[in-house]
Amino acid sequence: MNDDLIRLLTLRDENSRVVLMGAGLLGLASGVVGSMAVLRRRALLGDALAHAALPGLCVAYLLLGDKNASAFLLGALVFGTLGVLVISFLRHHTRIKEDAAIGLVLSTFFGLGIVLSRIIQNQPSGNRAGLDGFLYGKAAAMVRQDVLLIAAVAGTILLVVTALYKEFRLLCFDRDFAGTQGWPVKRLDIGLMGLLCVCTVIGLPAVGVVLMAALLIIPAAAARFWTDRLSIMLVIAGLFGMLSALFGTAASALVAKLPAGPAVVLIATGCFVVSLLLAPRRGLIADALRRLRLSRCVGRQNVLRAIFELTESDASAGAWQPFDRLLRVRTWSSSALDRELKRAMGAGLVREDGDRYSLTERGAAEAARVVRAHRLWEMYLIAHADIAPDHVDRDADQIEHVLPADLISRLEERLRAQGRLPGDLPSSPHAIEGTSP
Amino acid sequence: MCVWSLLGAFGGCRDDARSAKAGPSSAALGGSRPRVVCTIGMIRDAAERIAGDRVEVVGLMGEGVDPHLYKASPGDVRLLSEARLVLYNGLNLEGKLGDLLVRLARRTPTVAVTERIDESRLRSPPEFRGHYDPHVWFDVSLWMQAVERVRDALIEIDGDGRGEYMQRTDAYLAELAALHEECRRELATVPRASRVLVTAHDAFGYFGRAYDVDVHGIQGISTESEPSLKDINSLVDLLVSRRVKAAFVESSVPAKYVEALVEGCRSRDHALRIGGSLYSDAMGPAGTPEGTYVGMVRHNVRTIVSALR
Amino acid sequence: MTASSASADAVKSAAPPRTAVEVHDVTVAYHRRPVIWDVDLTLPAGRLIGIVGPNGAGKTTLLKAILGLVPLASGRIEIFGRSLDDARSMIGYVPQRETVDWDFPVSVLDVVLMGRYGRLGWIRRPGRADRAAAMECLRQVGMADYHGRQISQLSGGQQQRVFLARALAQDAVVYFMDEPLAGVDAATESAVIELLRTLRSAGKTVVAVHHDLQTVADTFDHVVLLNMRVVASGPIAEVFTRDNLQKTYGGRLTLLDEAAEAVRRAARG
Repeated sequence: MNDDLIRLLTLRDENSRVVLMGAGLLGLASGVVGSMAVLRRRALLGDALAHAALPGLCVAYLLLGDKNASAFLLGALVFGTLGVLVISFLRHHTRIKEDAAIGLVLSTFFGLGIVLSRIIQNQPSGNRAGLDGFLYGKAAAMVRQDVLLIAAVAGTILLVVTALYKEFRLLCFDRDFAGTQGWPVKRLDIGLMGLLCVCTVIGLPAVGVVLMAALLIIPAAAARFWTDRLSIMLVIAGLFGMLSALFGTAASALVAKLPAGPAVVLIATGCFVVSLLLAPRRGLIADALRRLRLSRCVGRQNVLRAIFELTESDASAGAWQPFDRLLRVRTWSSSALDRELKRAMGAGLVREDGDRYSLTERGAAEAARVVRAHRLWEMYLIAHADIAPDHVDRDADQIEHVLPADLISRLEERLRAQGRLPGDLPSSPHAIEGTSP
Repeated sequence: MCVWSLLGAFGGCRDDARSAKAGPSSAALGGSRPRVVCTIGMIRDAAERIAGDRVEVVGLMGEGVDPHLYKASPGDVRLLSEARLVLYNGLNLEGKLGDLLVRLARRTPTVAVTERIDESRLRSPPEFRGHYDPHVWFDVSLWMQAVERVRDALIEIDGDGRGEYMQRTDAYLAELAALHEECRRELATVPRASRVLVTAHDAFGYFGRAYDVDVHGIQGISTESEPSLKDINSLVDLLVSRRVKAAFVESSVPAKYVEALVEGCRSRDHALRIGGSLYSDAMGPAGTPEGTYVGMVRHNVRTIVSALR
Repeated sequence: MTASSASADAVKSAAPPRTAVEVHDVTVAYHRRPVIWDVDLTLPAGRLIGIVGPNGAGKTTLLKAILGLVPLASGRIEIFGRSLDDARSMIGYVPQRETVDWDFPVSVLDVVLMGRYGRLGWIRRPGRADRAAAMECLRQVGMADYHGRQISQLSGGQQQRVFLARALAQDAVVYFMDEPLAGVDAATESAVIELLRTLRSAGKTVVAVHHDLQTVADTFDHVVLLNMRVVASGPIAEVFTRDNLQKTYGGRLTLLDEAAEAVRRAARG
C-alpha cells in the first residue's frame, strides 16, 4: 500500500496522471455548471441529458461504425442538444412544467436509445460500440486525447460562466426582470443548458450516466451550505467537484478492483454529508445547537419571570414562591419546572429553601431586564396591532426572547415618547395565572 | 380419389422443402427435420459438424455478440420454445438467459454442453468465489468433452442417427486433437518470459492453463465490471517488466482499455502495440475460416504468436 | 442597448410628454382562452396610476403584456411613443415578491445592482459608480443598513423595499409595479407611498397593480378598472364611482352592462 501511495503522490504512472487530470477538470467544470443548474431548479437536467445522449451514441454507431471515438461524442451532443431544445419548447409553449418536461425527455429519449442499442447488440461486432460502458463509465481507460477534450470543455465553461456571470445570475434569480431589461432570456437559458449538455456529454465516457448526474448536483448542493454568495458558491462547488474527483481517482489508484467513477461520487457524497452536518450557519449541527441554546434561554427566562411576577403581584407573600404556585403560572410540567429551577440555581440566579424558591440579586436583575423587555413588547403589539391582550403573552414569549438589546431600547424610546412607559416596571396587561386579577 | 392424391402431393411438397436431403429414417422423425437451437457459435459449429443434415441447427448469438450480456428478444424466446433441443454452454456464460433456460428445461431437452466435464478440470479463480470460469472452449482438449456431450444429446433426441453421429464426431475429435497439439507447438515458440497475454477480459484462463501462457484480463471475468486505476497501473508494470510486445483487443469488447495500456507503456519507453483482434466470446463471420471453431482457435493462436515472438 | 439609452436620456431630459403608455386593442390569450381582451388604454405621464380589479381579472397579465413578458394575441403597445424594445431603458419593473426564490444566494446590494445591468451591456461588471448609485437607492427606501444581508433574512416588507430599490436603480421614466403594497407591514407601506409621491414630484410615471380597493383613492391619481376588459380608466374623481366599481367587481358584467344601458336610455329619453 505504501508503495502505491508513493507512486501516486509522485505521479509516476502516466495513466494515473491522465485520469487525475481528466477527472479533476471534469469535477471542476461539473461543480460550476451544476451549481447554475441547481439554482435554476433544473438539477435533474444533467441526468436527463445523460440519458438523452444514448440514442445519439447509437445513431453515431449505426452511421459511422466504431472507428471514430469522437463520432460518439458528437452523436451524444446532438441528441443532448435536441433534448435541451425539446425541454425549452415544452416549457415555453405548453402547460407542461419544468420537472415533467425533464422527465418526459429523459424517458422518451432513453427508451429510444434502448431500442436502438438492442438492434446494435444483435448485429455482428455490435458490442464494440461499448454502449453498456455508457451506463457505467470507464474512467480508468482515459487517454491523453480525452483529457484534452475535457480540458477544452472545462476551459470553455469556466470562461463563459465568468464572462456572463452577471447575466446568468440575473437569469437564474429573476427571469422576468431580466426580460424587461431587454436581455434575450430564452437564448441565455438555452446557452446555459447548452453548457450543461456539453459538460454532461464529455463526462459520460468517464463516469457514465447516473454518476454524471450526481457529479453535477452533489458538489453544488454541498457548496450551498457554506455560503450565501453565488460567486463563492461556484468556487466552492468547483473545488468540491475537483477534490472529489482527485480523491476518488486516488482511491482507485490505491485499491484494486475499485472503479474510479463510483469512488468519485462516493467522496462527493461524503463532502455533502460533512457539509450538511458541519457547515457553520446552515448545517444541521449548528442549527440544532442554535435551537438548543434558544430553548435553554427561553426556559431560563420563563422561570425567572414566573418568580418575579408572582412576587410582584402578591407582595404580602414575600420573595419566596412555593413550587405549586410556580407550577400554575404557565403550562409546564412539574419535571420541566424542576429542571429549569435546578439550572437557574446552578447559574446562581435562584436559591431554594425547602419547597420554595426566590431570586438572588443577580437573578432579580436579570428577571427585571427580561420582564421589562417582555412588557414593552406586549405594549407595542397591543398599540400597533389589534391583538386581544390575552393573546399577547403567547406570541410575546417567543419573540421577546429573540429581540436584540438595541431594538428593546428603541421600543422604550417610542413608548416613553408616547407617555406609555409608566415608571420603571409597567404592569402586565393580562392577568397572571394563579393570582386574582 | 383425386382429393386424396392432391392432399398427399401437397403434404409431400411441404415435407420435401424441409427434408429434401433427409435419409430413409426421416419419416420416423415425423417427416420434418428437428430444430436444434444453440446459444453460442462454437456450439452451433460443433452441432453442425456432428449432425450433418439430420437436424436443422440454428444459432442464437452471431458474430461479435457478447454472451455475458446477451438478452433474449421475443423472437429468440419463440425460437427456443419451439426447438426440439436446446444446447447452451452453461457455467453461467449466458448470464442473462438463466431464467429462460430453466423454464425451458421443463418442456424441452435443454443441455449444458459442459455438464459432464469433470469438476476437477474446471477453473475456479479466486475472484469468482465458488463459480467456475465458463470459457472452456479455449482449452481444445476440454472442448472435446463438450463436443462429446453434443453428440450424446443429439443421440438422445434422434436415436436413429446414432451411427452417423458417432462417425462424424470421431472425425471431428481427431481434428480437434491435432489442433490442440498445433496450439501447444506454436505457442512454445514464444519465449516463456514474454509469453504474456493481455486482453480486455478474463476469457482466456483455460487457454493460459492449457498452453502455458500467463493470461491477464483488464476487466475481470465479465465485460460488465470496471477495473480500477490500480489494476491498470499493475498491468502496465507487468507489460513493461516482462517486455511484452503486444496486448490484444477482442472482437466483442471495445478497445478503450487496451489503448490506455499502450499509452501507459509508451510513457515508460516501452512500445506496446495492439497485436491484433482475438475472438473471445464469439467467432468470426459466417462463411469465413474464423467462423468455425477450428478456424477461430487457429486465428487466435497465430495472431498471438506472431505478435509476441 | 446602449444606443437606445442615449436617445432615452434625450427623452428624459426634455419636457415630459403627456402620454406614458398607449395600449391599442390588446388581447392576451392562454391556450385560446382570452385573459384580457380588447384593452385600449392611454396612461398619462407624471401620474400615479393604479390598476384594480377582482382576482383573475388579468391585472398582472396586462402588466406583463405591456412589458413584453407574455405574447400578445393582437394589438400593440407604445411607451412614450416608442416600441417596447426602444423604450427598455425608460422602464422600471417591480414584480410580485412570490416570483422569486428568496433563498437564492445574493445579497441585498447584489439585487439592487441588478437594476443597473441594463445600462452595463454584456460582460461588463458593475463598478464603483454603480455601487454608489445602488446604495443611494437603498437609502431612499431605508434599507441601506441591510446592504450586505442575504435576502432570505428579510421580512416581506423589507423584500418589497429591496425590489423597489432595484427599480429605482434602473433610473426609469415610467415604473411598472405588481402589487407593491400587498402583505407589507405598516412601516413599509408608508415608506412605499412616500416613495411614490417623491417619484411623482420628480415627474416620473408609476403604473401599479393594486390589491386593496379601500386605499386606491388615497394612493393614486388615476385608476384603471379592469375585469378582463377595461371597465373604465381615468382620474380617480371621475372614474372611481360606485357604478363603475359594481361593474368591475359585482355580478355578471353583461347583465350590469345591460342594466346600465337601460338606465342611460331612460335618462336620455
